[in-house]
Amino acid sequence: MPARRQKAFKQIFHAVPSPIETAMLLERSGIRFDSGALHTLDNAAGYTTTELQSVNLGIYAGDLSYSVIFNQNQQSVDYLNTCRRLCDGLGVGDIINAGLIARADNNRDIRDSLVDIVTDTFYSLNARFRENGMEEVSGLMAAGGWIEGVYLGTRSLNTSTDDLKLRIAEQKMTLENLMGLLRSYAPTPALKGMMEALTPVEAAFAGVTITENAAAASAAEDGMVVISGGPEVQYDQATLDAISETIAAVRNQYAK
Amino acid sequence: MNVTHSAMTAIKTIPLAALALVMIFTVADATAQCRTFTKKRCLPALEDYVQNDNYNTAVLIPGDEAELELTFFGDRAYRLLVCGHPVLGDLTFQVLDSRGNGIYDSSDKEKDHFDFRVANTQQMTIRVQVPPKEAVIQHEGCVSIMVGSKG
Repeated sequence: MPARRQKAFKQIFHAVPSPIETAMLLERSGIRFDSGALHTLDNAAGYTTTELQSVNLGIYAGDLSYSVIFNQNQQSVDYLNTCRRLCDGLGVGDIINAGLIARADNNRDIRDSLVDIVTDTFYSLNARFRENGMEEVSGLMAAGGWIEGVYLGTRSLNTSTDDLKLRIAEQKMTLENLMGLLRSYAPTPALKGMMEALTPVEAAFAGVTITENAAAASAAEDGMVVISGGPEVQYDQATLDAISETIAAVRNQYAK
Repeated sequence: MNVTHSAMTAIKTIPLAALALVMIFTVADATAQCRTFTKKRCLPALEDYVQNDNYNTAVLIPGDEAELELTFFGDRAYRLLVCGHPVLGDLTFQVLDSRGNGIYDSSDKEKDHFDFRVANTQQMTIRVQVPPKEAVIQHEGCVSIMVGSKG
C-alpha cells in the first residue's frame, strides 16, 4: 500500500509485563494461592465510569491470571466472566463473547489452554483499544493489572521466600515501564489521577537500589544464549513493607 | 457576496471533512489490518512461548525506526520476534542493555527472532530499523515487536 507519509520517524513502544507473566513469576517464587486476596467479583456491577471500569478490568485480569496459573479452574471462568461484564461497559464486549467463555469453560482443566485464551484475549483488547484510540482505557487497564500483580505478591511478605522478595523489589523496573507508558498518552484527568495515585508507590520503590552493570551474552550448554550481568538489586524489609502498604492503598482506592 | 463566500467556504470545507473522514477510516483500517497480519503471520512464530499481551505494532515506512523498552525477568527464557510485512524488506534489530550497550545484532543473521535467557532481571531496549529505499513512491507495512516467555 502506498504510504500516507513520506518522512521517516521513530515509533516508541511502551510495554509492561502481562498479568499472566507476573502470575507465573509469583508461582515460581513459592507463593501460596490466597483466594481471600482477590478482588470481590460482585463489585464489578458497581463500576459505571470508564475510569473505574478500565482500572478494575486490569485488576480482575490480574486475578484471572493468578487463578489460571494456580489451577483455580472455576474461579478462572468466573473472573473471565467478570472481565466480560466490564468489557461490555467499555464497548468491547464482542472480544470476550459467549463463545470465548464456553471455550474457556470447556478447557478449564487444561492450564496451557487457559493461558492461551487469556493472553490472546488481552492482546486483542489492547489491539482494539489502539485501533479505537482508547489510549486512556489501555493505560488504566495496564496500570490495574500491574497494581494487582504487586498487590497479590505482597500479601504475605513476612513468610515469603527470598526469591519472592527479590521479585517484588525488581518491580521497580516494571513500574518505570508503566509510568513511561502512562506518560506517553495524552494526559486525561483519569490518567493523571492514576499517576498521582502511584506517587507513594514510586516513593516506596525509591528504597530499592539498582546498580547498573554491563550485560553480556554468552552461549549456554543447551545452545541458548544467556544474558548475564546487568543490574544488581538491593533492598531491605522496611522498603518491602512500604511497597506492600502503598500498593494496598492504591489498589483499594480503585477496587472499592 | 456573503452567500457566495459561504458557498465557497462550504465547497472547501466539505472535501476537507470528507478527506479527514477518509483518513480516519484508512488509519483505522490499516491498524485493523495490522492486527490480522500480526495474528496470522507473527504469532505462530512464537511457538510454545507465552506471548506478552502488549500490542507493539505500527504501520511503518522505509527508513523508520521502532523502539521498545521492557523488563525481562531473571531465570526465564524469552523469544523476541520482529515481524514485518514483506513490502518493507529485511528488517534489522538490536538488543541493548540498560546502559545502551549492544548485546545482540540481527544484521549479520538471517533470523527474525532471538531466543535467550536472562540470568538477572533487567531492562533492555529493542531497536528495529526498516531499511530505507530509493523510490518515488514509498510503501508502508505493518511491523510488530513480539515478546514471548517460558520457563
